[in-house]
Amino acid sequence: MNNLSIDKREVLRYLGYRDQDIDSRINLLIDEGIDEIRVLVKPRYIYKLFDIDRDNEKIYLEQCTLELEGKGIARHLKNAQSCILMAVTLGNDIDTKIRYYETIDMTKALIMDACATAAVEEISDNLCHKIEKKLRHQGKKLTYRYSPGYEDLSLDIQREFISVLRADRAIGLNVSSHSILIPRKSITAIAGVIDKSQFTRQRDCLNCSKFSHCEFRKECDICGR
Amino acid sequence: MGVRSFLKEEIIVFDGAMGTVLQDRGLKIGNLPELLNINSPEMIVEIHREYIDAGARILTANTFGANEIKLKDTGFTVEEIVNAGIENAKKAIGEGEAFIALDIGPIGELLEPMGILAFDEAYEIFKRQIVQGEESGADLILIETMTDLYEAKAAILAAKENSNLPVFCTMSFEQNMRTFTGCSVDSMVMVLQGLGVDALGVNCSLGPRELEPIINRILEISKVPVIVQPNAGLPGIRDGATLYDFSPEEFGYYGYKFVKKGAGVIGGCCGTNANHIRSLVRNIKEIETQESTYSPIIGVCTPTKTVFIDGIKVIGERINPTGKKTLKEALKSGDMDYILKEAIQQVEAGADILDVNVGLPGIDEEETMVRVIKEIQSILDVPLQIDSNDPRVIESGLRAYNGKAIVNSVSGEDKSLDDILPIVKKYGAAVVGLTLDEKGIPAEAEGRFKIAEKIVSRAREYGIAKEDIYIDCLTLTVAAQQEAVKETVKALRLVKDKLGVKTVLGVSNISFGLPNRALLNRTFLTAGLTAGLDLPIVNPMAKDMMDTIKAFRVLWSEDIGANEYLKTYNIQKAENQISQQESHENLFDIVVRGMKEEARGATSKLIQQKEPLKIIDEDIVPALDLVGEQYENGTIFLPQLIQSAETVKESFQVIREYLGKSSSLQLSKGKIVLATVKGDIHDIGKNIVKVLLESYGFDVIDLGKDVAVDRVVDEAIKNKVKLVGLSALMTTTVKSMEETIKALKVAYPSCKVMVGGAVLTQEYAEMICADFYAKDAQGAVAIAKQVLG
Repeated sequence: MNNLSIDKREVLRYLGYRDQDIDSRINLLIDEGIDEIRVLVKPRYIYKLFDIDRDNEKIYLEQCTLELEGKGIARHLKNAQSCILMAVTLGNDIDTKIRYYETIDMTKALIMDACATAAVEEISDNLCHKIEKKLRHQGKKLTYRYSPGYEDLSLDIQREFISVLRADRAIGLNVSSHSILIPRKSITAIAGVIDKSQFTRQRDCLNCSKFSHCEFRKECDICGR
Repeated sequence: MGVRSFLKEEIIVFDGAMGTVLQDRGLKIGNLPELLNINSPEMIVEIHREYIDAGARILTANTFGANEIKLKDTGFTVEEIVNAGIENAKKAIGEGEAFIALDIGPIGELLEPMGILAFDEAYEIFKRQIVQGEESGADLILIETMTDLYEAKAAILAAKENSNLPVFCTMSFEQNMRTFTGCSVDSMVMVLQGLGVDALGVNCSLGPRELEPIINRILEISKVPVIVQPNAGLPGIRDGATLYDFSPEEFGYYGYKFVKKGAGVIGGCCGTNANHIRSLVRNIKEIETQESTYSPIIGVCTPTKTVFIDGIKVIGERINPTGKKTLKEALKSGDMDYILKEAIQQVEAGADILDVNVGLPGIDEEETMVRVIKEIQSILDVPLQIDSNDPRVIESGLRAYNGKAIVNSVSGEDKSLDDILPIVKKYGAAVVGLTLDEKGIPAEAEGRFKIAEKIVSRAREYGIAKEDIYIDCLTLTVAAQQEAVKETVKALRLVKDKLGVKTVLGVSNISFGLPNRALLNRTFLTAGLTAGLDLPIVNPMAKDMMDTIKAFRVLWSEDIGANEYLKTYNIQKAENQISQQESHENLFDIVVRGMKEEARGATSKLIQQKEPLKIIDEDIVPALDLVGEQYENGTIFLPQLIQSAETVKESFQVIREYLGKSSSLQLSKGKIVLATVKGDIHDIGKNIVKVLLESYGFDVIDLGKDVAVDRVVDEAIKNKVKLVGLSALMTTTVKSMEETIKALKVAYPSCKVMVGGAVLTQEYAEMICADFYAKDAQGAVAIAKQVLG
């Protein structure tokens, strides 16, 4: 889990790269950025498994106060009897470092920001794989990660999400009064636990709230996720 | 007997967990345990009673999260919940004997600069809990499970300034001996004991086994009694439930070990119950309290960095407006970027501590000091020296500072001593004592020594430890008072030998009015170091000064094996070889290719041949236009665009410096206010826009992130700008954007507003009444050109 690779293609994607020539200076900055992030990152994560109760478009998690409401999440968890709540953070050092570079070298800051995004996504993916490994012997697997803010699932559930996982005390992940996760490079997500035999959908661009103006989708059909 | 005397005479046993015990009894995850104080008080009283029966002498009231943020929307006030919590503890004690601790946990939102909760807001939140806690009859205040030193400081200040109760404070660490926010054990101890807590230590997050090295370190250095409240081991998940792996017997054994080592207060955290506490009491019964054998840290710190003053450490002098025109301008206009760059450069050049002086007629020194400290601490971990004569500025600076700072300075005058030393004591800072008094600077070394003696003894009377007093024997200019130089060095040696305190000295004053100042400075520095100077205040950018210090550290066996020396000078040799390759690119190509480091040289060269305005029109603007076009049609991508923009900024700086000397020509294409709206902290997008606008010659007034509506309006009006740019990244903060636009339209209707950010679209922008939607940074430039023509 702690050995990050950080895929350079992902970093480039976050930087809006579309097969241009990369000059050697930028190339070097990206390689350095990846190395620097790999040293800086202290990934921390927490997850919990909950059984699900349903009532129309509302989903209740057993033994817990959080309710999930929305067409999207209802569809996402349609075939699941239980789900995982997970939270991942890279920690505050990264935020400070990016702020530091914003003062002296904006290009570097931009690249570090993209590297950090790639890192937190990678850790989240790795965590899902790790959980799936544990589920395998029960004949189960996970749906893709679905985060507050996707489609019609409100960002305002972040506070309760954090509190249910006790993520503030467990991994130092907090939420601000405007439902922003702090440290900034953090992810909260829900993944349904479903039978291995079931079909797993990929993230679907048509259902995405950014469909009409997605920068990543511009030149190909999907954003790459 | 009060808690304070109890602490001196006995080992105090706290109770164990509340939260995890409640969960065992059916509390739903996500529910606030504090509400049970009112909704099911009998359950809380019962748990308290179990702990009393097990032998706990202090009950922790069920008030951990009883703050206004967590209680929002619950229908209960802080006062109601705190009062009920204390009442339940009282009820459990009945006629028995036990103390009640008002429990205060983290607020649940991160403070600035990591988050957006202001220090003063945090203070007010804690104050409400504390005022009610004391009124309801708590015997002490327990601030616990902190991970952010700044938040702990806000809570401790709130406790000490609003009550007379003893204050205990603990923080939670990971196995790497840091808290989640990076605070080290050493920094915690230095800061908390400096703020005057009655006991400090660790709780939660780890089990006794993992906590052991952390506890060992705290016991080694803490001047105040040490608290240990571990979890019952590390948590594991079995059948969906969280279980802790330590039995009461094991827990008791470790408790014995910690008390034997010197812990004065012991209890349990998550996963512990009455059985663990019972075992603890049984195990430590026979142990007597013992005198602590700590050896204090001599030094200063920020949460993540401790500077030990165990040898020569460099204080950077450059953030001081005296004789610095550009810095004066930056301070007046609030240009924090300039000040931050000064700070960064000094640290990169090897400064261990930075002096911060912002005294300048016409600016609010107090407000500026606070702002500069906060800005520096948001990106650098270097400890600071707060430099002012005004006790108000010093106090506000110390309050805002996160860590243990140095105050520069107090003199031997009674008034200065009595004004400043209490502040130094209150905030647990170190202090520089200047060897002068109402009669001026004594000419002879002996006179200065006497003043130093007075300062040390007065500081001791105020409760300031000897290791926190640094004496400055004062440098006089050799051109004016040649004989005085020797006296300074002599006084320094006297202070060092006879008082045994650390010494500090501003070095650069020595050479005023003489040629080749660098030579005099470094020679005097060597004399000072030889006499025992610990903290030279120098310009770290002056390479020969830093070289002298590095060499001296080798000669005086501080740099063992000359390791540091070898590292520095072997690398430099390699660097010199590289920098000899000179470039022959022209400015146009340099901008297009974004070769930032070459821009200064090329511009300086070009300025010899061409009018500056011609350079802009013929070289810079065409290059920028080309880059912009390439970005639009996708031949280059964002980092390349920004790299070119930053290159132009370097060029502009050369041109500005040149014009500043020769004429009053205006380069600016007009002013624009930029801000990331209230509640939003993602400002990298806004900063990208800023760089690009600046490269096109616009003056950007950058208000930063999380900017209040009023501030945007005020700055827009004050600067008479025609255009304001607002950025928001989240759907949750677009609301703030809308409010800001509304307020601008009312107060300053002629001003145009452009908006941008990940969640915005053209339609969305229109809906919130923005005049323009900038889809990216290049779009913002087009809008700026249109509005400012």
